[in-house]
Formats: sequence, C-alpha cells, structure tokens
Amino acid sequence: MRRALFAITGLAASTTALVVLKAGPDTSRVAQELPASATPGTEESTTAAESTAEPAEATATAVPRPSVSRSPAPGQSTASPAAGGAESSGGATKKPSVAQPSTAAPRSTVRRVFGPVVSNEFGNVQVAISLTGSRIVAAEALELPERTAQSEQRSSRVDDRYSGTAGLVVQRQSADLDTVSGATATSESYRESLQAAIDQAR
Amino acid sequence: MTHPGTYSDRRTGAHSRSGGRPTGDLLPVVPRRGCGGRRLLVGLFLLGLVASVLPWWTDTQAGSLAGGTAKLTAAGQISGLLAGYLLLVQVLMMSRLPVLERVAGGERIARWHRDVGATLLVAVLAHMSLILVGYAGLEGRSPLGQAGVMLRDYQDMASAFAAAGLLVLVGLTSVRAVRRALPYELWHATHLAAYAVLLLGFAHQFSNGTQLFRPGPVRTGWIAFYALVVAALLYGRVIAPLAFNLRHRLRVADVVAENPDTVSIYLTGARLDRLTMLGGQFFRWRFLTRGCWWQSHPFSVSAAANGRWLRMTVKVVGSHTRDLRDLDPGVRVWAVGPSGTFTAAHRTRERALLIAGGSGITPLRAMLEELPPGTALIYRVRTPSDVLLHRELDWLAQARGVQVWYVVGSRDDPGPRQVMSADGLRRLVPDVARRDVYLCGPPGLIEQSRQLLRRAGVPRRQIHLATFEL
Ligand SMILES: Cc1cc2nc3c(=O)[nH]c(=O)nc-3n(C[C@H](O)[C@H](O)[C@H](O)COP(=O)(O)OP(=O)(O)OC[C@H]3O[C@@H](n4cnc5c(N)ncnc54)[C@H](O)[C@@H]3O)c2cc1C
Repeated sequence: MRRALFAITGLAASTTALVVLKAGPDTSRVAQELPASATPGTEESTTAAESTAEPAEATATAVPRPSVSRSPAPGQSTASPAAGGAESSGGATKKPSVAQPSTAAPRSTVRRVFGPVVSNEFGNVQVAISLTGSRIVAAEALELPERTAQSEQRSSRVDDRYSGTAGLVVQRQSADLDTVSGATATSESYRESLQAAIDQAR
Repeated sequence: MTHPGTYSDRRTGAHSRSGGRPTGDLLPVVPRRGCGGRRLLVGLFLLGLVASVLPWWTDTQAGSLAGGTAKLTAAGQISGLLAGYLLLVQVLMMSRLPVLERVAGGERIARWHRDVGATLLVAVLAHMSLILVGYAGLEGRSPLGQAGVMLRDYQDMASAFAAAGLLVLVGLTSVRAVRRALPYELWHATHLAAYAVLLLGFAHQFSNGTQLFRPGPVRTGWIAFYALVVAALLYGRVIAPLAFNLRHRLRVADVVAENPDTVSIYLTGARLDRLTMLGGQFFRWRFLTRGCWWQSHPFSVSAAANGRWLRMTVKVVGSHTRDLRDLDPGVRVWAVGPSGTFTAAHRTRERALLIAGGSGITPLRAMLEELPPGTALIYRVRTPSDVLLHRELDWLAQARGVQVWYVVGSRDDPGPRQVMSADGLRRLVPDVARRDVYLCGPPGLIEQSRQLLRRAGVPRRQIHLATFEL
C-alpha cells in the first residue's frame, strides 16, 4: 500500500508538472492575441483558455446548442439542425428535401454527433453533424479559429461553404470537400473533425 | 481418507514405498537465477507509462494552457491516458502469461496488481472529475449538468460512465477490510467485472479522446496494446492451460490424512517427467467433481518434481478445503501453473534459512529437496500434533544435511519467545545475515519474523515471503 501511495503521489506530481511545463512559456503571446478575438458573429468571446489543444468537446461558441431541442429526445441525442445555425450564417433552405427534416427536428429521428476538437496553428475546430438515419441533414462548426480578424475571416468563409443545412457537407454527404482557398489549414481541420464525426455516426 | 495410524493401507503409487519422500536419486541443487528479468519488466512498465502520455505532450502546443479550465482539462487528458494504460497493465498482469509468472511470480504480480489497482482507481476518478469540471467551465455549466450533457450527447459516454462505476465497485471491494468481510467467491465474481470495464471503456477513448480519435500511429499503437492484452489473456488463460492439461491429464490418486485437519492429495498423470516446476511453486487447482469444479484454489506443491506424482498438502480452513478431504481417486484435475518465485532458484545467496508456521511448511518442504546441504529449517507449531510431514522432514534432515528445529508452543511460551528473537535466531543460525530467508505461514508469524530478521541484519532482498494470499 505504501507503494501505491507513492505511485499516486508521483503521478499526480508529474501530471501537474507536465501541465505547468506546457502552460509555462510564451503565455505572453497568447495574451497579446487575445484582444483581437473580440469579434462579431460569435456570441461568446473566446478566452485564452479555449484557444488551443482542447479535447473533444464543445467550447463556448457551442453553448446555445443544447437547450434548444433536446427535451423531446427519448434516449438518443437530438438537436434541431436548425439550431445548428448558431453561427452558420447562410442558406437555410435551398433544397426543400433537405430542409424538411430540419423543420421536423424535434422528432427523435434526428441524431447529433460531435466530432472531436482538432487544433491547428490558428486555433481549434470542432464540427457537429445532425443526421436522420444515416443521412447528414446539417453540419455546424461549434468552434473555429478566430483569434485574429484574419483567421476569423477565413473561418467564416469555411463555415459558409461547408456548414448549414445546405452546405457542402450536406450536399456531398462526406468529408470529401474542396479546400476553401486561402484557408487550407482550417478546411483541413474541419474535414478531420467532420470525418471523425461521420465515422462515429456510421 | 486415512489417518496416520492406518497410513499404509491406502497409499498407492510410488509414494507407498517412500512415505511421500522423493524416490530414487537426490535432486540436484537448483542453480540461482538473477532478478534481471524483473527489472526489465519494471523498466518496460515505466517506458509504457511515458509512452502513453507522450502523444499529449507532442499534441499540446507550449503556452496554450493559459486558463484554469484549460489546465484542468489538460490534467484530465493526462490522467485519462494514464488510466487507460494502467487498466491494460492491470489486465495484462492477471493474464497468467507464463513468462510473467516465471519472471515475476504469481504472488508478486498479485501485490503489484493491488498497488497499480489503487493507482488506477485514483487516476480514473481524477480523469472523470477533471474532465467534467474542465468541460463544464468551458461550456459554462455546472459539473453535474455537464455530466448529463455528456451522457446524452457525447458518443460512447454512457458506457464509459458505466465502466467507471464498475471500476469503482471493483476497487472498493478490493480494499483490504472490505475484501476480508466478503466471501471469497463473491469478491471474485465482482472482480470479474473488470473485463466489462475493459470493454465498456474502450470506445470512448477513440470517439472522444483528443489524442486517439485521429487515425495514425498513436491510435494504432493504442489499439495494438489492447490486442496484445487480449492475446495475452487468451494465451495465458486458455491456450497454455489447455496445452498443459491435455499433456499431463492429472487425476487424483489418493487422499491421505496428515493430521485431523490436514490432508495430502496425491496426483498422477501422463508425462510427468516432462513437467517442469520448482519446489515452492503453486498451481491453481480445479477438481472436476461435483461441488468443486466451479472453484479454482491455489495450493503449493508439497514435494519437488519427481516425474511420477504430484502432491499438495491442504489444511482445512473453509468449505472448499473441507470438500477436498472427500475426493475420490480418479477425479480429474485441471491445473494452471506452475507459478511463483518462492523457489530455490530465486535466492541471492548460496545458503538458506526456512521459517515455517503450521501448514506453511508445505512449499518449504518441497524446496528442501532443491536447496544445498546446510540449509536450516525452523518450524513453528502450536502443538506437536500440528507438525506436518514429520517423517519426510527427518528423512531430508539426514539425506540433504538439513538442520531442523521444531519450535513448539504458543507465541508467549518461553521456548518460542527465545528462538523468535534476533539474538535467538543468531544463536541458532550464526550466519543468518548471509542467508536467504524463506518465510511461509500465518501473516502474524511472517510479519513478526520479518521484523526480527531485519533486526538480525538480513538485507531486505534476501527475505522471501509466502503468505498464502493472492
Ligand atoms: C500461493 C498460495 C499457495 C497456497 N498454498 C497452500 C498450501 O500449500 N496448503 C494450504 O493448505 N493452503 C494453501 N493456500 C491457501 C489456500 O488457497 C486457501 O486456504 C483455500 O483456498 C481456502 O479455501 P476455502 O474455500 O476452504 O476457505 P474459505 O473460507 O473460502 O477461504 C479462506 C481464505 O482463503 C482465501 N481463498 C479462498 N478461496 C481462494 C481462492 N480461490 N483463491 C485464492 N485464495 C482463496 C481467502 O483469502 C479466504 O479468506 C495457498 C494460497 C496461496 C495464495
């Protein structure tokens, strides 16, 4: 038992040490970039805490999602794809056939699956998709890099192109998407998180 | 069953001629083995520990963990990786893989398993609470609300929570005081839930683990480790025992009473000349007869390998051992082993001192055949009738030059008190500090002896313990 105590203390200490080591250097750089992140289009300002290397979960930008339409879900998780428009600006109903499930969202047949958080040098990307059966009816970016005005711009281009109930994701039904020019890294991270979500869903 | 008086009536097989003593030539002294293998195992374990956290280290950009919640989540990720690794190590240690049993020994592995188990429990609880608090902070919820969201909305999290619940159950029932209070079978059945933990906890690592969801070497490596552990389980728990038992086809030959509450069970089988085991080792035995087949119990062999029969000497302490008295000859026996490093091969010095208490004599009796002349044996018993295998010990004293002292009486009698002191030991065995000491008996005696051996100057690594506890 003495050995177990020793092991537990040792691991706790080294975990703390690892975190401190990673948190240590150039925090100043992150802090500098912070002010630029106060941007329009997102409900919550991004804090330094969630700017990089976060695990698979929805960060502040995703806050509105759960409350909207979870309640009617028996067992399986649902959320209305319409709510997926939290930050996907455009193209609500281009194709009626696609839009239909989204209006019928509260029905328990809509499933929502989260992709993991993928980080690149600009920030984190996390994608969630909504499905009826195995069909993707909506995609949404819960988080996109927006630490600087420039990356915010790129992000919204990617988002407009891919997300929503009529975006490229819904059209293609796969993560096989054309790269948005000028936003290669974000496109790639988007596809990676999306692919993982699709793999999970199927 | 027979009592010593009628001993000769029912003896069968080879031992009838020798009264249980090894027939034929004296066995050669077993050469010593180093402890290099064990160090290698520990080294590999530590290497794996580092390797399991490495993906986090390389994935995380320096300076990215600025906020408190980010730090909590990061610590949650690390503890998750550690917990995942430790869980696999735990199962691997229980795989009965022959190489592990040979290098580390079943009893030492059981001790490691207990320590790593406590660590694993803490790591899992830390992982859960850190991730919950971290995520809750990021999403602006209460940790409890966050748990609800994760259960409903995250892939594979319901089963992960179930796995954690089971693991806590397994961990808590293994706290020594709780375990003592439970019937062994109930505890054991609960412990089997650990396999369900392995299964239920599997998926969430890959759907939600930041380091593991991506196809790539890390994910592949992690899955490969899982596959390795499952393969080890299959081999150690199924294939190796199957091969062993098909080869040797053990059966009960006879059950002989040694004293009113102790019996010796003799086994015969095929190709026993090719059975490699050492005195002091044990098997897990399953007697395939009504009422017994569903339990497997560890017993040491009480005679060294002789190519013709095996023997265990069993003290009746509970329901299973009581049933064993009534075994009929011919009953098939399923054995898993041999196991244990409480053997002559694991000594660090040439000479040895053995200290036995009560039925703890059984493994030592087998070892005596394999230790060099000059070995000393101190045998602690309450009353003269508690002395087991008396004739064999006397025979070994002669044939192998073993000095035997029977120390009879209760702990507070003057005789035992005098012997069981540092001075007493040194008087009996002047070179005790230069010997390996093997202790086997009730926990009280072992602890007492261990302390006075340390006082008598015996280095820790020369002291070997067998407590009949796994
Ligand atoms: C490595 C080792 C070697 C042993 N060698 C011998 C020996 O040579 N001679 C001998 O008489 N006894 C030996 N024992 C002890 C023996 O295994 C137990 O006395 C026996 O299993 C008790 O079973 P029971 O149902 O009669 O008693 P119970 O009353 O059910 O149990 C008594 C105690 O024995 C232990 N125990 C019970 N069942 C098991 C099991 N399946 N596996 C492990 N432990 C169990 C538990 O700690 C329990 O508290 C050895 C034990 C170990 C671990």
